Amino acid sequence: MSFDEVFDVIVIGAGHAGCEAASASARLGAETGLITLNLDLVGQMSCNPAIGGIAKGHLVREIDALGGIMGRVIDRTGIQFRLLNRSRGPAVQSPRAQADRMRYRAEMRRTLEATSSLHLRQGKVIDFVIDHGKLAGVVLEDGRQFGSQAVVVATGTFLNGLIHTGRRTYSGGRAGEPAAIELSETLKRLGFPVGRLKTGTPPRLDGRTIDWSAFEPQPGDEIPVPFSFSTDSLEQKQIQCYVGYTTEQVHDAIRANLAQSPLYSGKIKGIGPRYCPSIEDKVVKFSDKSRHQLFLEPEGHDTNEVYLNGFSTSLPAELQQDLVRMIPGMEEARVIRPGYAIEYDFVDPRELGPDLQTTRLPGLFHAGQINGTTGYEEAACQGLLAGINAALYTQKRESLRLRREESYIGVLVEDLIKQGVDEPYRIFTSRAEYRLALRYDNADERLEGYGRELGLVGDSDWDRFNARQSRLATLRAALETVRLRRSDARHAAVTALIGGDLGDSISLSQLAKRPKVDAQLIMSLLPAELKPINESDLNSVLADSLYAGYLDTQKAAIAKLYQHDTLKIPRQTAFSTISGLSNEIVERLDRAQPLTFGEARRLPGLTPGALSTLLAYLSAQQKSL
Amino acid sequence: MNTIVALSTPRGRGALAVIRLSGPDAIAIAQRMGLSEIEDRKATLTTLTRPKDNEVLDQVLLTCFRAPHSLTGEDVVEISCHGSPAVVRSVIDTTLELGAVLAGPGEFTLRALSNGKINLAQAEAIRDLIAAQTDAAVKQASRQLNGELSVALGPLKEKLIEAIVVLESALEFVEDDLPAVRVQEIEKELAKVSTGVEKLARTFAAGRLLQEGIKVTITGRPNVGKSSLFNSLIERERAIVTDVPGTTRDTLTEAIDLEGIPVILTDTAGLRKTTDGIETLGMERTRRAMGDSDLVLVVLDGSTELGPSDHDLLSQTENTRRLVVRNKSDLPGFAALSGCINVSARTGEGLTTLRSAILASLHNNGVEDGSLLITNARHYDLLCSTQRELEAARAALREGHSEELVLAPLHNALRFLGQITGETTTEDILSEIFATFCIGK
Repeated sequence: MSFDEVFDVIVIGAGHAGCEAASASARLGAETGLITLNLDLVGQMSCNPAIGGIAKGHLVREIDALGGIMGRVIDRTGIQFRLLNRSRGPAVQSPRAQADRMRYRAEMRRTLEATSSLHLRQGKVIDFVIDHGKLAGVVLEDGRQFGSQAVVVATGTFLNGLIHTGRRTYSGGRAGEPAAIELSETLKRLGFPVGRLKTGTPPRLDGRTIDWSAFEPQPGDEIPVPFSFSTDSLEQKQIQCYVGYTTEQVHDAIRANLAQSPLYSGKIKGIGPRYCPSIEDKVVKFSDKSRHQLFLEPEGHDTNEVYLNGFSTSLPAELQQDLVRMIPGMEEARVIRPGYAIEYDFVDPRELGPDLQTTRLPGLFHAGQINGTTGYEEAACQGLLAGINAALYTQKRESLRLRREESYIGVLVEDLIKQGVDEPYRIFTSRAEYRLALRYDNADERLEGYGRELGLVGDSDWDRFNARQSRLATLRAALETVRLRRSDARHAAVTALIGGDLGDSISLSQLAKRPKVDAQLIMSLLPAELKPINESDLNSVLADSLYAGYLDTQKAAIAKLYQHDTLKIPRQTAFSTISGLSNEIVERLDRAQPLTFGEARRLPGLTPGALSTLLAYLSAQQKSL
Repeated sequence: MNTIVALSTPRGRGALAVIRLSGPDAIAIAQRMGLSEIEDRKATLTTLTRPKDNEVLDQVLLTCFRAPHSLTGEDVVEISCHGSPAVVRSVIDTTLELGAVLAGPGEFTLRALSNGKINLAQAEAIRDLIAAQTDAAVKQASRQLNGELSVALGPLKEKLIEAIVVLESALEFVEDDLPAVRVQEIEKELAKVSTGVEKLARTFAAGRLLQEGIKVTITGRPNVGKSSLFNSLIERERAIVTDVPGTTRDTLTEAIDLEGIPVILTDTAGLRKTTDGIETLGMERTRRAMGDSDLVLVVLDGSTELGPSDHDLLSQTENTRRLVVRNKSDLPGFAALSGCINVSARTGEGLTTLRSAILASLHNNGVEDGSLLITNARHYDLLCSTQRELEAARAALREGHSEELVLAPLHNALRFLGQITGETTTEDILSEIFATFCIGK
């Protein structure tokens, strides 16, 4: 076999998953080839020019803590930053940013090109090279063959992508870009179960044709919170976004034209994400709503293009233009790019292990939308994990597995590989039982250690992390030891503020648990020798204290209810021999191969009876040992 | 999956015995033993033979139930044969020879559970049903078997999930145009759930009494007629009755059925200070039995003046649940007193009143007649845990804490409830959210 080039790891696709995968793999010392259809579109955001949001922002922080790049790139290219849920508890606060779409791409490419051992190549992968049953490389459309031990497939929406606009359907991975058809055939030929999903995107408008005064401005935060732990502050000027609404007139027009929507004409077979519904969906399912919210998101400082968030559609392009003009403030608006729906193939993520490697073909990893997820952040964290593990695989080192108790990435991966997907999977805080422990501000505490162990976290980052941990420890101790006494000058004032008796002497940590006590107040009560105190450090420590009790109660409840969770299930257990399990349940267990009773318990479709049976079996096995 | 066989009726001699087979080979085995035509659910007179030597085993009534419409959800064959242990043994042995396997304890129920024919609460009810000692206990267990517990908890669980859905949506979909959370409404709904759970939990005391029986201890100083009373209540001679005080050296216990409620009566040694070693041992047991009981009958000799031992006993039992019984109403000199139950163990006078009074103590739990009772300690424990978490959530809500702090105990509550009725997954909640609110950009 002769290869034109040989790498350790090949990554197919330079989207959010692919970029993280390639960057991590290369920085772990594996010679990595990143192959993409179009080098000018590395790091392209397919629809919403934004990163983060509730739970998604958490993912970006975790990526950053592990040594990934998304956080840094968005910090440098973001044009509006907001910390969501400021009024709520710290566990559910999450950063979000609008990006300058062009600059994001440029910065992502620049970052990759500055990474040694990372080799960018333009081309279309159409097949794998398999030598005596082993993965050996990839074949490109132009005839080149690249060799490698591991391959990460991060093809996004490109696998057999089919774009729908009104009655027109054509092949494409994204508007203006070709689909990857052959690769999908290869995966099917290898026996992978392939399904179909869909997603959609709204029209983009010419900002000069919008009457901005008709919309409600939504400014960024005064003091924006960065994504990356390595970013001290964000200095760039921020833009405004704007909020608007559809009208009944728009809704009526949409309803009158549903036959022209591929979604409703039955042309589209794939299942779409519930949480990215098209405007057609919204108008049909929630017909009692007289208006639906829209967000106008400028795409960058150097362009007039505006993203019309909330108006995802696959109605005909001419109709989109008419509909847009019915929205107050957009009477003169011109559509630059119409919205569309896209159907694409995905591979059942139950084919993967916790390292995102396929069990069917060792060395082959899948990351991103190919696994049935939706969202840039969801894709990126998978890319990071897959890239790390692909490199570790070639170096014959133990893989990195993340648990759901310690990270949202762990929740996402476990959900995917154990449950599969019926519709595009998006991360929510409610998917994490341990939501209170997985905060955006403690991602470093939870994960930076892994990043350092792997070698992805550099010295300056590690020093910064340790310095922060040390400051946190000092603060924690202070909160325990510093007390507010009746004799103190502030005691009366604080008592009046709380409206309750504080006793003769109360520690600051106890005081912090009372309602109406905020970080500012605690800050003012801390001794002068500790200052200056970083407000975000204090917030983190207070958050730990706030949630500690709840977490203990939760752990106790779960331990009591699920006391058998840690009971191990021996590999190769023949579930079919366990008397009392139905065929369907045996099949589910065989597919999922749970390693502990806890994993089995979380599998969908396992009845309480079946679980009792399994538990009885495992207990009996244990006794006979 | 193997085919199990078991004797479903109690061991011993009787007119009939019922043997059940469940599993993929049940019908095939029946056919090999002599069943020629199979009509689903039709009791067929069949002669069973042993294939290996064609020996006739018995003439039986055989019924087939094809999966999934059977007890276990598998193919089930029910054989009603003559109730002789020898016949039973040979029929079962034959099935074993044909490939069946002896069922483990509860295995039929386990299969019914695995195949979703019954839920966990019902399976436990079956167990309780089999263990039930009286009609009323049977009735309660039957109700649970009919899913009444799950039904009673259903609406409560729905309300809980509704509250969770609203709170989750508020914190997750911040940028969507959702109606503002009405905290007072949520507080009201959670209060309703709390009340419902508490009501059910409270029935446990009565339920346990129903399942295990009211423990009634008969106490009183020597020779007031405790043992006579005991015998009268159990309606046959049991205790040794003599004229010498202190003849009931031990405690005697017997269960009686009072209108379907099991009552466990304990007759004790007369409480009297004495130096006789054996006597003191009996009295120690007496004191323990008193401490252990749900109701104490303090028996007095109504025909004589109250002595110091009587007064001691009355003051000792002042704060326990008790009935004061004045015995020997047939004797002259008997003074009836209100507030006491006047009986004559010898003639039977007043015993009906006494029996009613014993039953009344059960009803004093504030439980309506005919209501669903929680009889299972596991369920009681789970309901208490649920209640605790609901209280915590309501407190967090009242104190104005952020939603995730209200949700943490609500999710705990849901987990505990789920242990009785079946779990609610994140997917279930997400589906509810998306069905309720228009979300998404």
